Amino acid sequence: MSPVPEPSAFRSPSDTGDHDAARLRVVDADTYTDWESVYRDNVNRLYRLMYARVGNRPDAEDLTSEVFRTALGPLRLASSKGEVRSYLLVTAQTVLASHWRRTLGVSVTSIDPESDLDALTEKGVPDEEGDAPQRAGKILAALPERYRRILELRFLEACSIKEAASTMEITVSNAKVLQHRALRMAAKVGLEIES
Amino acid sequence: MTARRMTEFLDALAAGQRPKAYHADPEDAEVLRAAIALRAARPGDAVPDDTFVAGLYERLVDESRDPVASNVRPFRMRRSRAALIGIAASIALIGGTFAVTEASHNGATTTSAIQAPPANVLRTATFETSQGHALGQIVVHGGSPGWVFMNVDIPTSDGIVKCELRMMDGSVVAAGVVHLHNGSGVLSKEIHVDTGRLEGATLYSLSGAVVASATFA
Repeated sequence: MSPVPEPSAFRSPSDTGDHDAARLRVVDADTYTDWESVYRDNVNRLYRLMYARVGNRPDAEDLTSEVFRTALGPLRLASSKGEVRSYLLVTAQTVLASHWRRTLGVSVTSIDPESDLDALTEKGVPDEEGDAPQRAGKILAALPERYRRILELRFLEACSIKEAASTMEITVSNAKVLQHRALRMAAKVGLEIES
Repeated sequence: MTARRMTEFLDALAAGQRPKAYHADPEDAEVLRAAIALRAARPGDAVPDDTFVAGLYERLVDESRDPVASNVRPFRMRRSRAALIGIAASIALIGGTFAVTEASHNGATTTSAIQAPPANVLRTATFETSQGHALGQIVVHGGSPGWVFMNVDIPTSDGIVKCELRMMDGSVVAAGVVHLHNGSGVLSKEIHVDTGRLEGATLYSLSGAVVASATFA
């Protein structure tokens, strides 16, 4: 087996020619200095990614916690930021898949460590909300007016089904049927947007 | 029944609450996916709460100081292939390159152990019972040779459980046995299978009953 390697974040005196300077930790700009920096640099983005996959804060927080509790211990800080993020994404992929198996028995959403890598990098987050509003906007724009309205009331304006029915001046039963049909059409539109 | 449970799921989602688990039909997935995509666009919730971020940080620090809180125990591998698994990991990873290094963090000593392997050679999964209870984790690494590590926690159990790896073509490969002490045990060994073709793993009791299974993402 390979001998225990020296972490690349530390360098021997011979590397620098200066014993005092050698006591200082030499930090590569592309690596993390400690696990706190791993956490600080990735927790917001990882939460946003999880939130976009589960759609509610309690689950997003639990899954984000699970990813860090799983991943931080084994991480070697000498790894590059890209490697660390890839590892976090692989862990997140497993954690999310396990979540859906546990809660619904079917995979509803997933994380792809390759295509979702941008979600953990600076270029992947144009604003705090990510690209979810744009994506939702495209889906809603493709729906008939009543379908769009019921979904806006329910999922963007946080109305109960009763409140949504009242706003649209329909019965609660009709609102449930309308919501179901609207979601089915939204699902089709979503697939078309992805393809 | 399923329609009612899905409606409840959607109600919770719309209200920003944690939806209750239910056994969903595969057709439900499309509807739920659409609802999640819309719900994720609601302003505000997509940003983590400062209290959550600070609280998780504190919990990670606390767990790193209290190895008892972790379900990962130090273990020894054959052929000097050893790694001390540190702090607050709920699974442990072992691979072709090992390191045990110490990093200073706010005065506390933490252990950062293993170089993050490339994402395409590392696969992980959770052992779950048929009721969905998590009993442990399994990690396989597709190096040369490949290896498997698993930790199992079955409270109040002692004895052994057997583990078999399931290949995508339906064949199975014995991975070994996990010896449980006070309900916990780990297994690590080299494997000589194409880990990219692994579908999952199953734990069996000595009587042959399925204890838990894991499916790789």
